[in-house]
Amino acid sequence: MEANPVGQGPSLDRGRAGALPHNGWTRTVSLINPLRAVWWLFTNVRFAIVLLALLATVSLVGVLVPQMPATVKGDEMLERAWLENQRGSFGFLTDSMDAIGLFEVFSQRWFAFLLAVTVVSTGAYVVSRFPGIWSNIRKPRKQVPDRYFEMAPHRFAIDSAIDGERLEAALRAKRYKVSRTAESDATYLFADRFQYAQLGTLLTHAAIIVFILSAVVQRVDAYDSPLFLAEGSTLPVFAVSNPNQMQVTLENAYAQFAPDGRPIDYRADFIIYDRGEEAKRCSSTVNSPCSYNGYRFYQEAYFGYGATVSVRDTATGNILYQETLALSSQNPSPRVKVTDASGTVVFDRAVVLTDIFETDEEAVAVAAAYAGLPGGRALTFWIPENPQADDKLVVFEPGSDDTARATLAAGESATTRGLTVEYIGLEGIPASAADGIPVPGGSKSALFEMTNVAFGTDETSSGDYADAGGSDDADPTLAIIGLDPEAISLQEGERARIGGYEYTFERQAEFVGIDVRRDRSDMLVWIGAFAIVVGLAITFWVPRRRLWAKITADRTSLAGQAPSHANYSRNLRELVREAGGNVPEEPEDDD
Amino acid sequence: MSESTDTSRDLSSTAGRFNTRVLLRRVVYPIAAVAAIIGVIWWIESRGDDDVSPTGFEYGVRDIDSRFVPDGFEVGTDAGQVAPDFELEQLGGDVSRLTDFRGSPVVLNFWATWCRPCREEIPQLVAEYAKHKDDGLLVIGLNLQEGRDLISPFAEERGIDYPILIDRDGDVGDAYRLLGLPTTYFIDANGVIVSIFRGPLEDKVEDTNVQGAIGQTELQQRIAEIMAIEAQPVPEANDGS
Repeated sequence: MEANPVGQGPSLDRGRAGALPHNGWTRTVSLINPLRAVWWLFTNVRFAIVLLALLATVSLVGVLVPQMPATVKGDEMLERAWLENQRGSFGFLTDSMDAIGLFEVFSQRWFAFLLAVTVVSTGAYVVSRFPGIWSNIRKPRKQVPDRYFEMAPHRFAIDSAIDGERLEAALRAKRYKVSRTAESDATYLFADRFQYAQLGTLLTHAAIIVFILSAVVQRVDAYDSPLFLAEGSTLPVFAVSNPNQMQVTLENAYAQFAPDGRPIDYRADFIIYDRGEEAKRCSSTVNSPCSYNGYRFYQEAYFGYGATVSVRDTATGNILYQETLALSSQNPSPRVKVTDASGTVVFDRAVVLTDIFETDEEAVAVAAAYAGLPGGRALTFWIPENPQADDKLVVFEPGSDDTARATLAAGESATTRGLTVEYIGLEGIPASAADGIPVPGGSKSALFEMTNVAFGTDETSSGDYADAGGSDDADPTLAIIGLDPEAISLQEGERARIGGYEYTFERQAEFVGIDVRRDRSDMLVWIGAFAIVVGLAITFWVPRRRLWAKITADRTSLAGQAPSHANYSRNLRELVREAGGNVPEEPEDDD
Repeated sequence: MSESTDTSRDLSSTAGRFNTRVLLRRVVYPIAAVAAIIGVIWWIESRGDDDVSPTGFEYGVRDIDSRFVPDGFEVGTDAGQVAPDFELEQLGGDVSRLTDFRGSPVVLNFWATWCRPCREEIPQLVAEYAKHKDDGLLVIGLNLQEGRDLISPFAEERGIDYPILIDRDGDVGDAYRLLGLPTTYFIDANGVIVSIFRGPLEDKVEDTNVQGAIGQTELQQRIAEIMAIEAQPVPEANDGS
């Protein structure tokens, strides 16, 4: 805050509450009134400086000291664990810091109180100063006592008279507002330039209030709801009922990748429903959110491994289950390449291990059988339990003698009856267990694994990044493991009937994360930023300049008020010279 | 000079004379500023609490006719109270009030298509409605704030043939104090709430706190309970009432 707009010397401003000439006892008497004491405190410049310094300090602490994440807050166990982690950095101080809220500075009541007091103090400053400043702008003091010409911060005098009219003309040429008064023994001039610039300081202070209010509005009014949507699915913006309820239906998700797997672009096409009615269709990217009804819909995440599965009751035809599952786990699967005698690759993919059985050598093993090889042949692959330890793949052709069985380490190959089988190694394929799905026998739980996954179903989703356990020319294939009597493997659009249920792998689906936000403090921040820039620009670049002149028969005296950084005394000298005064060319140091 | 006059006025005011200007500056302006801040906060906080339906529909909660409140009962959303009445549009376009179904035991299921547990329990509701509708049981699917575009294909594919009412503005959900979906109210033929089940109705056969129910699912037990209560006659409406 500014104690004296002119920076130096005595002030000639009128009616400023901060400059009221309290003497000792009147001030004491006035402070006895508690309202006046509070008012005096809030309009006190030193108090405001202390407040702002305090606010800056605790904000700095809030930035430098790790703050408890929102995801941890509210869960006592997580909070304790998080604090234990901080003990490594802050040692014995951790508990004390937690007690006074240094790990949650910006949500503390004392921080809110500090903000509120700062707002009130700044508001009181603006309110108390405004009438005085306004009066000083509209009705400036046009004559000053003679002694002011001897002590003004900027002054110049010569021992001869100059022409008042010429001085007035020189001032007007410099766009001053001038008033000239002739009295019996002297001519007085008052000139004023940029008189309204004095409001710049108040504008800067008002900006501080606006910034703090924007923080309050953000805290009270802002809303943020992350939605994780699969293609074809719908989610509400608000949990349960809300007067502003909206639903978002994701129609399509697009992702484009460079050949090295680097993401190039994401896009989501979705529909916004407002209380059940379609309100807007959007195409949103990370940097181009969609706006509706004061809310912004940002795409903030992408996930390509989803599978839409439905289960119907074969008796009624009714859908009993229809979900898009996020296959967010990775299950190890052996990647196998089979070539025939001519060297043609007949099989190249990750093998989904769908069955569990007991063998003589290992208690449990997981296996898969693959048919469809040339000549109607089939191969069975299995891995002993604990594949990470052994990392061996056993290949066996049913119906052949035991000599056709091969045990391969990663990178090894073997030939059996004209087919060369190469075990490339283990790789992860998208997988997830799901509950609630109707399963023969009533377990309501199954494991899903998907191969031949390719992100996207149209041109913008092209790229090699999503080569997860697949061959380039095959459709996505979903294995549903845990069905009785056996696991099934379905390509997109395929269906299979087991035990009164019909299972359909409807499609591979992509997910996007859409963050729905409303933050009406944005506008306040812009207003505050504009106000503070304008206020500071006015204060520093076009400050008010006032000039008083007294011209007698044998002396011309000029006094001025301008910012301390302005070399205003030199300007006064130039003005006198332009008005015909006998002033040496070389400036002298008047100050 | 005029300046000396100004100065004397300021000095006199600080000495204790309370003129209008001082009153404005020191009392009225600060109070107005604080009131403005409080007003802005109140406005932000109070938005959306308007009783007027945002969509302009006249559907929502209705005052219940006293004829539908049996002696000794109060209207409320707890077990043992008479379920609040409401008037909503049906999926097919008709308008229904809860009291229209007085005389039938009602399973009032709050749901939405986006709610996964709701989706999982719907086959049970479809099956139980098919089993008991000829005995007078009514299942009402009260959809929360969705539109026909989403509900119709969903209901068709799942074979939902019980009435679906649409609470566009969420007024009924608010009146029934929903904490989440799904929530199911079991209401007897006299309009009295017998039990409330918050969360998904499991289709496993387990013992519950409902007496006399063995080997039944949670839903079956609660349906049996409301169907066992006889309907009392509703008094005729007086003219002009």
